[in-house]
Amino acid sequence: MTVQQRISWPRNFKVSGLAAWSETHPKPALCQGMTSVMPKSRPKSSGALAPEVLFPLQVLLVLICLTLATQPAHAQAYLDCHFVPGWEQSGAKRQYTPDNLFDYRDGAAEGYLIFSFARMQGIDCQSGSTTLAIDVSDMTDADSAYGMFASNRDPNQPIAKIGMGGQLLAQSLLFAKGKYFVEIIQTDGSPTADQTATLQAFAAKMAQLLDGRDTPPETLQWFLSENQTSARLVPESVLGLKILRRGYVAKYSEGQAFIVLEDTPESAAEVMNKLRARYPDSSPAQIADDAFQAKAPYLDGICIFRKGRYIAGYTNLSDASAATAQATQLAPRIP
Amino acid sequence: MLHSFPGKGATMTLKSSRREFLSAGLMLPVAAAASNTGLLQATDKALGKPTNSPVKLDHRTLGKTGLNLTTLGFGCMITSDPSVITRAADLGINYFDTARVYQHGNNERMVGAALAAKRKQLILSTKSISGDKAALLKDLDTSLAELKTDYVDIWYLHAKDKPTEIRDDMIEAQHIARQQGKIRFAGMSTHALPEMLEWTAQKKAFDVVLTVYNFAMDPAMEKAIAAVAATGTGVVAMKVMAGGFRSLKPTDPVAAKLHRDGAMLSALKWVLSKPNIGTTIPSMTDMDQLDENLRAMSEPFSTRDEKILSAHLEQIKPLYCRMCGQCDGACQKGLQVANTLRILAYADGYRQFALARERFQELPAHHAAVRCGDCTECSVKCPFGVQVSARMARAQELFA
Repeated sequence: MTVQQRISWPRNFKVSGLAAWSETHPKPALCQGMTSVMPKSRPKSSGALAPEVLFPLQVLLVLICLTLATQPAHAQAYLDCHFVPGWEQSGAKRQYTPDNLFDYRDGAAEGYLIFSFARMQGIDCQSGSTTLAIDVSDMTDADSAYGMFASNRDPNQPIAKIGMGGQLLAQSLLFAKGKYFVEIIQTDGSPTADQTATLQAFAAKMAQLLDGRDTPPETLQWFLSENQTSARLVPESVLGLKILRRGYVAKYSEGQAFIVLEDTPESAAEVMNKLRARYPDSSPAQIADDAFQAKAPYLDGICIFRKGRYIAGYTNLSDASAATAQATQLAPRIP
Repeated sequence: MLHSFPGKGATMTLKSSRREFLSAGLMLPVAAAASNTGLLQATDKALGKPTNSPVKLDHRTLGKTGLNLTTLGFGCMITSDPSVITRAADLGINYFDTARVYQHGNNERMVGAALAAKRKQLILSTKSISGDKAALLKDLDTSLAELKTDYVDIWYLHAKDKPTEIRDDMIEAQHIARQQGKIRFAGMSTHALPEMLEWTAQKKAFDVVLTVYNFAMDPAMEKAIAAVAATGTGVVAMKVMAGGFRSLKPTDPVAAKLHRDGAMLSALKWVLSKPNIGTTIPSMTDMDQLDENLRAMSEPFSTRDEKILSAHLEQIKPLYCRMCGQCDGACQKGLQVANTLRILAYADGYRQFALARERFQELPAHHAAVRCGDCTECSVKCPFGVQVSARMARAQELFA
């Protein structure tokens, strides 16, 4: 792939507008002082790079800087009240980072930060006395964006096919697409209004414009689907245990399953040893590379196994043997 | 040393230093007059495996509400698994806090499921961020359904940082809810100290105030909290670990040092050393954090804790203005340096970005036009090592 092919030009980009746009968008750190490495005359020092070498480097640096610098404008193209006729923007666009998200989301900001929140951009759209707040959060990667969505959706309501997954209610719509988590919420207007058509129209347009994948994380497919009520990414301390750092948890009508990815099979084995030490009354189970079952406080019947870098299992079942039976079915689904 | 804290109209002064502010925790008895303690069999980090070490519970009465709360409450916002909440209740923690907006209601759902079996023995609070009576009451009904209860003990108006954000019909909603038996006490949560606390002390509309409070804050905050507590309003402290800890990246050596030294526990113990604080609601993700925080109820704030927190304050020394006034008139461009640095501290130290921007915009008009980067050398030299030029430039970048 060439440098040119890697450049992602914003949809609203015009060369003539670059100067004005760049005034409001600081150069990436890489590009700060760039002009100082672009001498106007041939270097006098014999140790300096020759022009035939320097020029391609300058071009490359300019292209990289343009690529980086145009990203914010690209993201802002996703926010436009005119996506749906009859709606106008109210107030200025807003932008938050991890440093000031508390000002907008208050204590709920922590719920974003634990999912690798990088930046939020938003607008308010108004039609008559109704206001919709539209916020797009960059969650760094698609798994975190889906994790944020799954954590915020109502598990009692169905998932809509928007991006990787969405949820449409009378006055709110959430969805995740690529690394973006999108919230469209009625903040002013009749508390009984049905905004589903408008919300769907906004979401359809935004999902078209947002880059990134529209399939949920592959790991979720490994969970058994029968009697599953919800599945989500737990960004810290799976099962409430710090040593299970980050993983997926699927809830069932009875019990729950989890899958945690460790860095290496060796580090996964080390975690297994620590888990086993927590449950001294556990007994071995014959699943994958290593496994044990136990009756545990607060988790009831548990069975935990290791398969390569993965640590997985079932908890909160009536007894350990029931957990082992379920874990035996889960193990072959994990690659 | 004179500290001033001019909010709207220079409201209070306090003779003390930040060091003294920290040390003050050592002179106060951990168990305040209204507190009492009890012992409970503890569990160790093996997720419920009994040990011989007892957990010492410490209780205080929350203002005039009469609620007898453990001084360690439980902020459920980012808890990873309901088993952590259930275990905390089993260990004797009796105050749990959530909010309607946390995870779009999923947090209330988790808290409700985790505590349903013990509901009548516990004090439960939630919050609504809605801005009118109808929406508030609708939120409350939803909260009750999700929490699987027919009442909450404290219902907060959520995140009110200006008096104008609290309308009469919102207070009326709390009265109606109380008459209907859906709430026991009315509360308000705020991040805007001391102004909202002063307003609350005068208004006397709330039984409980939930406020940011930690060791990294201006010493004058203690006066504001004492004033509101004197009216009989219960004071619950949040963000007691000073949110700055969380904002440090895990790879930051400062973050690693703070964790290694047990700074989180020291910060919690510091807040608990303040008798005007009824209880605290640190966010707890997992069993390990719960185990660590439980120690705050039995271990007094010590000289070691003071050293740990002082070391942390040392880290922010280049950022923290002591308001000594020695830079008055020193700026060639006529900028109000101390005031600007104080305003910047709202944003950087207390996460009060909106408040900081508002205060900056109240400064004389020429402040907005000056850029410290245009000066080749800064004429202001701080005797305490504050990097004035860089800090002023940051304020201009953020607010101008």
